[in-house]
Amino acid sequence: MKRKLTSLVLCMAMMVTLLTGCKVQKSENTGETSSKTEDTTTTEEMKGKGDATIDILIYAQDHEKAVYQDLIKQFSDTHSDVIKKVNFEVTTQDEYATKMTAAMIADDLPDIFYVGPESVRSYVDNGYVQSLDALVDQTAVSNLWPTIVNAYKYDGSTIGQGSLYCLPKDLSCFAFAYNKDLFDEAGLDYPDPENPYTYDEFVEVCKALTKDKDGDGELDQWGVANANAFGFTPYVYGNGATFLNDDYTKVVIADSPQFKEAFQYYTDLTVKYQVTPSVEQDTALGGYQRWLDGQVGFYACGTWDVAAFMDNATFPYNWDLCGWPVGPSGNGKSTAWTASVGFAISSKTKYPELCAELIQALSTDEEGQKALSGETTGKALQIPNIMDYAQTTYKEKIADGTIPYAKNVDVIFGYIEGNDKYQGLFTETTYTYNSEWWDLFLEGMPNVLSGQISVDDYCAEVQPKMQEALDNAIELQNSAKK
Amino acid sequence: MDMGEMKRKQSRRMSKMAKREERWAWLFISIPLVGFLLFMAYPICFAVFASMSKWTGMNSLVDNFCGFDNYIAIFKDEKFWKTLTTTIIYLIGIPIGMILGLLFAIGMNRKIPGVRVLRTMYYVPVVSSLVAVSILWAWVYNYDYGLFNTIYKALTGMHGPNWLGDETWVKVALVIFMVWKGLGTSIILYLAGLQNIPRTYYEAAEIDGANGWHKFRNITFPLVSPVSFYILITSLIGGFQVFVEVQVMTSTGGTNYSAATVVYYLYDKAFSNAQLGYGCALAVILAIIIFIITAFNFIGQNKWVKTME
Repeated sequence: MKRKLTSLVLCMAMMVTLLTGCKVQKSENTGETSSKTEDTTTTEEMKGKGDATIDILIYAQDHEKAVYQDLIKQFSDTHSDVIKKVNFEVTTQDEYATKMTAAMIADDLPDIFYVGPESVRSYVDNGYVQSLDALVDQTAVSNLWPTIVNAYKYDGSTIGQGSLYCLPKDLSCFAFAYNKDLFDEAGLDYPDPENPYTYDEFVEVCKALTKDKDGDGELDQWGVANANAFGFTPYVYGNGATFLNDDYTKVVIADSPQFKEAFQYYTDLTVKYQVTPSVEQDTALGGYQRWLDGQVGFYACGTWDVAAFMDNATFPYNWDLCGWPVGPSGNGKSTAWTASVGFAISSKTKYPELCAELIQALSTDEEGQKALSGETTGKALQIPNIMDYAQTTYKEKIADGTIPYAKNVDVIFGYIEGNDKYQGLFTETTYTYNSEWWDLFLEGMPNVLSGQISVDDYCAEVQPKMQEALDNAIELQNSAKK
Repeated sequence: MDMGEMKRKQSRRMSKMAKREERWAWLFISIPLVGFLLFMAYPICFAVFASMSKWTGMNSLVDNFCGFDNYIAIFKDEKFWKTLTTTIIYLIGIPIGMILGLLFAIGMNRKIPGVRVLRTMYYVPVVSSLVAVSILWAWVYNYDYGLFNTIYKALTGMHGPNWLGDETWVKVALVIFMVWKGLGTSIILYLAGLQNIPRTYYEAAEIDGANGWHKFRNITFPLVSPVSFYILITSLIGGFQVFVEVQVMTSTGGTNYSAATVVYYLYDKAFSNAQLGYGCALAVILAIIIFIITAFNFIGQNKWVKTME
């Protein structure tokens, strides 16, 4: 009896903890849709009466997945005479590269998958994706933001020219946001979206927002929280600096006074002014969570975050968008990084036309964009890909409250379109074969931000290592042809 | 029919039977054999070949053949040596776990009330999912809200260390975790070993006037040495392949890659940075290291591993 009991306890412990590692996702579709769960990957099957089976692999967050699932379901329903089954597999961004590598090695690529601008060359050079020139409606393509269309054109040597290989999933940017309630409490004026803060102004505002609210001798509210991997580059680019030289072949951080100035300023926010959580506090609870908890005045806001921040259950504070601070040595423009990922069609698919129709429904179709950008769903997951719609109707729908969005939406448009106050730049990892050089920079950053090593010493120490990794990436890029 | 012909016929019959048996034998071993060839031998050969190529998963494996370039690069690779050192540091947990395992097993080998409950409790971490318990321990080590630092602050009034963010403390944290996770296995194995030691040995020793330490030193310790050897070998092999706890408990391998192991680095190179050839070379080197250490252990076992005989 005792042995049975022991076995039972152990079995239960095993079952319970095994389930902890899995993120169960339930299908929201009904009828013919079934759902399989395998760790963090979910596969949805949508069935029709035709012959064609289409496999799709993308990464998405739950709320994005639900909208895409609906769009694909609608497409399957309207094409049920030709479609037998659509396998819609969604994974996490972290696992995506691993799954794609495995699929490539096994020569079993899905029919439709994501390709980022940084990978277009490799995918095209190795013949994994097919040109969309003859497959998609060129008028619809001409209505998209030119920046994202150019990112997916390639002529065999230069990006931005030649045939189109992907339809953009989105054009995103990482803007800046502030918690209005904390500004009110501190009696501060809200940031002016027309005139982003200078470095000096920003520090002063952050100091006013940094407080020990419960009087226990420890700070519990800070001016800003910076996630190094996402929040450092706007300070660097906004000060006219870069990590690499113009042709992305040399790491220049140790030789660039502008870079070091931005890095020193970023470090001072934590070490000297203490207006950010310390490195230790950051490991205990990340900046995103502290922002959601109302502990920080400023935090980054990606275009994909807007729906979550507008949701009172997730973020119960008033907030708005503003510009990243502008460094003294740049061109005076507030700078955010922009990014994109695109839908590509495998060169081996049996159904190129059908796949092309499907990715158009997800990328260039106005109804699809209305759903993804919130007009018909109420959740703004992205800025619409269709430029004209985004600049006119979409903004009107935000102004009249149809689409829940931050009032200063022009900040995002400023980063996407560029103007005399704002600019958006693709991060430099977009132009290199892998991001190992960038990872190397990030790895030692906590030691700088905890004051263990100076900015100058760190730049001098890490630059040769980054250069070695970059040289390696260039070599791999050159060898990445079959 | 003469005798010679009969013998020849008999031997032919026998050989037919033998052949039939041999065919059956081949059939029986073919399943594991095919499994071995397909899932072990082929991947190993493939990995060895791929380790000599600048293979990215996208480009041609054969066209980018580079001989021993990857191996030469690895020996000059600072990160490889750093991760290898960290991996070896984590092995400190093995003797600690073995000593604790033996002590706990000796304790639990007595007839005390609730011993079964205790044994079960200590075994729970072994059957628990590594990912789940790693997430749990990441909370235990949390700088602000973690169990350790909360207790430390209550006792001393000072803030405890940044367990997972500091380059040194992260190693201590992971060693403690690995000892905790592996303790149940050591205890169970040592318990089995202890229960195999005949009581008469101890009785004889007692008659000779041996005290507790003498009995442990001269009977218990030598007679559980085969178990110690088994735990040592399996722990060393497992210790060189630590990955999940680092992946779950530290983001990006810890500050300055201080928590990363060789296997973590291998994964990072192969899948995050599309250097599959280099990753394969790392895997081959790791396999060689494990093989050499295991071989040394087997050679050295005669000096300290004793059996009942």
